[in-house]
Amino acid sequence: MKNRLLIVMTILTVLAPSLLSALTGEEIVRKADDMQIFETSEATGEMIIKDRFGTKVSTFNSWSRGSEESLIEFTSRAERGQKVLRTEDELYLFYPDAEELIRMQGSMLRQSMLGSDVSYEDMTGGKDRVSQYDVELLGEENVKGHDCYVLMMTANVRTVPYPKEKVWIDKETFLGWKAEYYTKSGRLLKEIEILKVEDFDGRLVATETRISDKMKTDTETIMILHDLKIDIPIDDNMFSLEELSW
Amino acid sequence: MKFLISLAFKNLTRYKRRTLITAGAIAFGLMMYIFIDSMLAGAEIESVRNLKWFETASARILNDEYWENRFQKPLDLSISNPDRIIQTLENNGIRATKRIVFSGDLILNADDFGEDGNLAATITAIDPVRDFRVFGFGTTLIEGRFLEPGEDAVLLGSWFAEDIGAEVGYWITFVTRGNGGFYEAMDLEVVGILNCPNPNVNRALLMMPISTADEYLDMDGAVTEINVALPDNADVPMEVERIQEMLNGDNLTVMSWEAMAVDYLALAEAKRGGTSTILFLIFIIAAVGISNTMLMAIFERIRELGMMRSLGMSDTKIRLAFMIEAAGIGIIGSAMGIVLGILANLYLVNVGIDYGFLLRDMDIGYRLQAIFRGVWNPGTMIKAFFIGVIISTLVAWFPTKRALKMDIPACLRHQ
Repeated sequence: MKNRLLIVMTILTVLAPSLLSALTGEEIVRKADDMQIFETSEATGEMIIKDRFGTKVSTFNSWSRGSEESLIEFTSRAERGQKVLRTEDELYLFYPDAEELIRMQGSMLRQSMLGSDVSYEDMTGGKDRVSQYDVELLGEENVKGHDCYVLMMTANVRTVPYPKEKVWIDKETFLGWKAEYYTKSGRLLKEIEILKVEDFDGRLVATETRISDKMKTDTETIMILHDLKIDIPIDDNMFSLEELSW
Repeated sequence: MKFLISLAFKNLTRYKRRTLITAGAIAFGLMMYIFIDSMLAGAEIESVRNLKWFETASARILNDEYWENRFQKPLDLSISNPDRIIQTLENNGIRATKRIVFSGDLILNADDFGEDGNLAATITAIDPVRDFRVFGFGTTLIEGRFLEPGEDAVLLGSWFAEDIGAEVGYWITFVTRGNGGFYEAMDLEVVGILNCPNPNVNRALLMMPISTADEYLDMDGAVTEINVALPDNADVPMEVERIQEMLNGDNLTVMSWEAMAVDYLALAEAKRGGTSTILFLIFIIAAVGISNTMLMAIFERIRELGMMRSLGMSDTKIRLAFMIEAAGIGIIGSAMGIVLGILANLYLVNVGIDYGFLLRDMDIGYRLQAIFRGVWNPGTMIKAFFIGVIISTLVAWFPTKRALKMDIPACLRHQ
């Protein structure tokens, strides 16, 4: 009996520091979500869409504030002037030729943005995944030389588009290097992978991301951000409907 | 008067060839009128039947807010207790069935279809036991078998199957959104192909068992619609009101097929307007033919007309004689037209005309897949007969008037 107690005490003593510092799945996801939220940001970028018909490049300027507001204005010839505004609860599209403002809702949100592997809906939704998903820490893996936590997130509400998400989050920087999105019955739908990052005062920000729709073959979308500026002053009206139609 | 009738009759028999040619023009016009009227009336009757049997049923119960959002096919605007409602309806002698309609992306894989692809599609999840009591799909199976409850299977419309190159035994993947908005994908085996006579349905039909859909979509027993079959002679608006009363307080609404097919009915109305114009033009052509023939007939007989006037016959009587003659032509032509119309309609009613080559890739509004069949409409024939006679009589007025304007010596010298 004494021996057994001694063994338990020894194990606890050895493991105590790591047990005390171990993060739960929820904490890891929360940290990862916080990493992606900036007070403001501004960037130019391009979206390279590859499918069986070839490759198409769309360029854009983007601005964001917090986790809920963003504006994308396309600058490439075919879609010049088209704008996508995301506010706290809504998503709006503006077509300059028709001078038409459309509130995206229902099935419209499911449509692909400019034929890419990103749906308009992928741009909506809060960053607070912890309240919508049950998180299970599956283990650890190395992704492209980075030690990552592997987490399986299972939705506890019906209102999120992806009922299951498997994410690989960097143990040091809490950057999500890779994510897989599944249907309720466990079919892989989409895969997101970070190809390039930039360091902003110790925070890593993805500047090149590959998104592929796994239900389609030979398609992928690469989002590249250039000239990314973080925490810069942005006009308060930038994310208003009035500004959208100007 | 008797003399005038006898004169007109003699003139008709004296110029047999002219009489027959003119009467032939009238007969052709009338035959076309009867034929086209029969074909369009047949198309309308069959379209309405195919609408009710394969598209709208006689009436539909929906969530109050569903209809205005119907293009988005929202699963959350549903009916939560369909079985209780169906039971109530059946207790009142009304046949009903539940359905879930949802849209998504149909994924085709190269293993079965030769190449990968995807397209937007809509699935109708049906109750395999009850659905055929309300809709007419029971007799449309051309390949494979019907659905069984709970299986991961799908039935396709034959045109849809042809368009995507599907055969029985192939598998399709359908990616959609469940109740609430989550993504779901289902692998479904094509177990049967239906040839639905309603082209709009046959072009896009995908059907799966409702129990399978319920599980994938997390519907918890809710459905998006309950369809109701009413007898052909039922007073639909009254029945709709009666069903609405039965559902009182459930936030549900009942829509008649007319209310759901308002677009089709407007189109049918517009087509009727267009058809009347075509029929009017047919009559104008016939009328010009008759008028021209009468003009020639009168000019041929101007000397005869001068002689009658010089013997003291009044212009009114002469005009009347020519109009009776024209009416005679009208009666002969209309009678021939009715006979020809009946013969043509016999073929149209029993065999019909196959416009499948045209309707396969074109939506003309009618819910007909290929064959246009006619109907018997005695009212149209009677109307056509009288119109034929009246028009022939009236068009004789103008050439007679012109001839009567000439003085008697000019008439007698006319060559």
